[in-house]
Amino acid sequence: MTGPLLDIHNYRLDIATFDGPVHVLKDINLTVNRGDTLGIVGESGSGKTVLVRSVLGIGPKASKVVEGKIAFDGQDITALPEKDWTKIRGIRISMIFQDPMTYLNPLFTIGQQISDVIAAHEKAGGHGVSSKAARRTRTEDLLDQVGLPNPSMLFDQYPHQLSGGMRQRVLIAMALSGKPDLLIADEPTTALDVTVQAQVLDLINSLVEKLNLTVIMISHDIGAIATIAKRCAVMYKGEIVEQGLTADILSAPKHEYTKRLLAAVPDIDTAATKVAAQPAIAEPAKPGVLLEAIDLKKVYRSQSGTEVTAVNSINLSVATGEIFGVVGESGSGKSTLARMLLRLIEPTSGDIIFDGRNISGLTGEPLRLMRRHMQFVFQNPHSALNGRHTIGDAIGEPLRIQTSMSRRDIEARVEALLDIVQLPKMFKYRYPHELSGGQKQRICIARAIALNPRLLILDEPTSALDISVQAQVLDFLQELRAELDLTYVFISHNLAVIRQICDRTIVMKRGEIVEQGETETLFLSPQHEYTKALIESGRKTSRAANLSAPAVS
Amino acid sequence: MLAFAFRKVLTLVGTMIGIAALTFVITNVAPGDPARLVAGPNATEDMVTTIRTEYGLDKSLPEQFVVYMGDLMTGDLGQSIVTTRPVLEEVLRYAPATLELVFVAMAIGIIVGVPLGMLSAVYKDGPIDHITRIFSISGVALPAFWFGIILQLTFAVDLGWLPVSGRLPLVTRPPETVTGLLLVDSLLAGRLDTFWTALRHIILPAIVLSFPCLASILRVNRAEMIEVLQSDYIVAARAHGIASFRIVAIYALKNALLPTLAMIGLRFGWMLGSTVLVETVFDWPGIGLYAVSSALSSDFKPVIGVTLVIGFFFIVANTLVDLAYAWIDPRLRSA
Repeated sequence: MTGPLLDIHNYRLDIATFDGPVHVLKDINLTVNRGDTLGIVGESGSGKTVLVRSVLGIGPKASKVVEGKIAFDGQDITALPEKDWTKIRGIRISMIFQDPMTYLNPLFTIGQQISDVIAAHEKAGGHGVSSKAARRTRTEDLLDQVGLPNPSMLFDQYPHQLSGGMRQRVLIAMALSGKPDLLIADEPTTALDVTVQAQVLDLINSLVEKLNLTVIMISHDIGAIATIAKRCAVMYKGEIVEQGLTADILSAPKHEYTKRLLAAVPDIDTAATKVAAQPAIAEPAKPGVLLEAIDLKKVYRSQSGTEVTAVNSINLSVATGEIFGVVGESGSGKSTLARMLLRLIEPTSGDIIFDGRNISGLTGEPLRLMRRHMQFVFQNPHSALNGRHTIGDAIGEPLRIQTSMSRRDIEARVEALLDIVQLPKMFKYRYPHELSGGQKQRICIARAIALNPRLLILDEPTSALDISVQAQVLDFLQELRAELDLTYVFISHNLAVIRQICDRTIVMKRGEIVEQGETETLFLSPQHEYTKALIESGRKTSRAANLSAPAVS
Repeated sequence: MLAFAFRKVLTLVGTMIGIAALTFVITNVAPGDPARLVAGPNATEDMVTTIRTEYGLDKSLPEQFVVYMGDLMTGDLGQSIVTTRPVLEEVLRYAPATLELVFVAMAIGIIVGVPLGMLSAVYKDGPIDHITRIFSISGVALPAFWFGIILQLTFAVDLGWLPVSGRLPLVTRPPETVTGLLLVDSLLAGRLDTFWTALRHIILPAIVLSFPCLASILRVNRAEMIEVLQSDYIVAARAHGIASFRIVAIYALKNALLPTLAMIGLRFGWMLGSTVLVETVFDWPGIGLYAVSSALSSDFKPVIGVTLVIGFFFIVANTLVDLAYAWIDPRLRSA
């Protein structure tokens, strides 16, 4: 036990691109001792994934180490030949990944995938591969260790038959199969629901204790880092700008970027200060209800005849000018509900009343005209914009479809819209790939408000964005509402965000509303068990991140 | 899985009925009076009327359709005017030769195309990749008749390694017919020399027929492999220490194989249709050659018969592809 387990010294990495080399990592210095739990925080593009993948020798192909070295347990692994990696990968260093949906091979059973990893390790270890039955027993032990029920049944199942949380546990089991010294966790909870996030973090914590693991966990979610890691490093544009004890960094951040990042984290336990942003009292002519759903239901029927009720008899009414929150975990039916409200998905039964008019029976031209008044903003701005259209085309599209405005008028309107979403006019000549995530989401919003709609339905509008960008977009949405007299239906799985911006909120579970009311009341005295569980799991990571809230703001 | 297979077979029957109906419609909207065609240019009006009644052409179209479908159900494809023999009998006599040619060509396409596509993807933008890409473009671009003649000139005429054309020399006694496929029948009869002769005959036409198919399998497999190799679960497999060869040959290939299979199904039908050229160049006694000679003598029943048979095999091939899909991809089984 001499020396650090992992020592990264003056590490610099370039990636060759079409336009020449890009400096992805700059002067990285990082030491991890045995038994350490280190967190690396950073937003997308900060280089944190490239860094940890380099530790495992699976970095991008076109990359080139310019300077420095990575030593693992005293051995220089910077330029290790592929055959020597087999003794390290998965055995001494192993990794768990962000999205358990895509990191398991869909065509092989869980059992086969884990057994294969075990076989590979035995082969690399030099002592022959054990029997199929022995590997099966070992696999089932591993599945049991990560808290999965009924391992022997699970062994023969395929990834698509498992929930997200179960898949993440399978990936963790796989990572543990080589009894690694070092476990790297790359955003292990980002793609999971809040309640599941808390469970997975608990599992990692218990494994650290039980197996005496050394862990490096990277995440953009400071809360998740804080629950796991004693030490923490903050990465920004390929550099480590700050490192030290997690508690110290949270309570007294030194670097400018860290301060900004911490300030942007919404806190589940803080009442929103902006709730008083005048819910459009400026429009007395049409008070009351803008959108109403009566007994709305959606049933999907699979080819084999089984029925799945995605949304079950939902009644709701959205008042003019309010921000109406819909919160729930994946599979709760919130996206289906949102799409039905705009008739993007046909309801199985029930009525939708918009501005006093029943739109559930509308078809053809009247429906098309109705859509002017209600627009949708999608979750992922990266896929909601056509990569081959300029920004100007994208924003101008609804104008071309819905109005008879001249080209010149449309041009002018596009520029005005860019102005409203606080982007330079010249952006209309750009293409989506030239923009950042936050900018793209602004473009999507500009496109949605192009026709002066009265209702915007926002389906997880900030989930695909970095935290600091999320804060900007949320602020911006609130300003915009006041400016344009908009009503929002705001869908999110993030309770802190909901609390920050929504006036009234419904909580959905398995297609039904389990609780509804004023957002503040909901958070202060939740009635339903599920709401309580949601808030509790959300609090777990949120509180950890905000243990320093006063010092920051 | 069984329910899935059953549904697929039902679809097969439905599609077959559709094809039969479509063939009927096309032959009836085609210009010209079939009775007059059959009767020949010098026939009198009386003779034409007689023939019209004899063939049932004086009845209304719906009536004719019912009769036609009824005949099909009982396996009656009508009679050839030229040979006066039942079309079904003739088609069954010629079909095995074509099927044998297509099977061998398809085997070449898969056995060469899939691994080359894999290699090309693994060594993307390297020398192997460039060579296979040139190879595959030429595969799509070369016209079959020209390529066939070049091969004949080189390997049969100049080098004398292989026979120029035909399926078996006249002097060779064909093995007892079991499947109709000479390669299989000769093996079943234990006649290795005949097998060898048949194999030498089939190589050149099969290569010509397989070339475009090989090229498209290669290209699809390459593109799919490239995409799959970048996917998250491949990164994960590497991180867990699985050997590179196993990752490529098992983990990635199984995923890349799905679209390749679809291509194989489509190409199978395409091959059945395009054997005509290859059979003509190599004087191969298959249904392509039979259909061409019938069409040239305005003998329409055999043409319809061949169309139906090709359609049948095409649908069967694609049903098999669908079943293979479900066998490979567990997500499709429950759908």
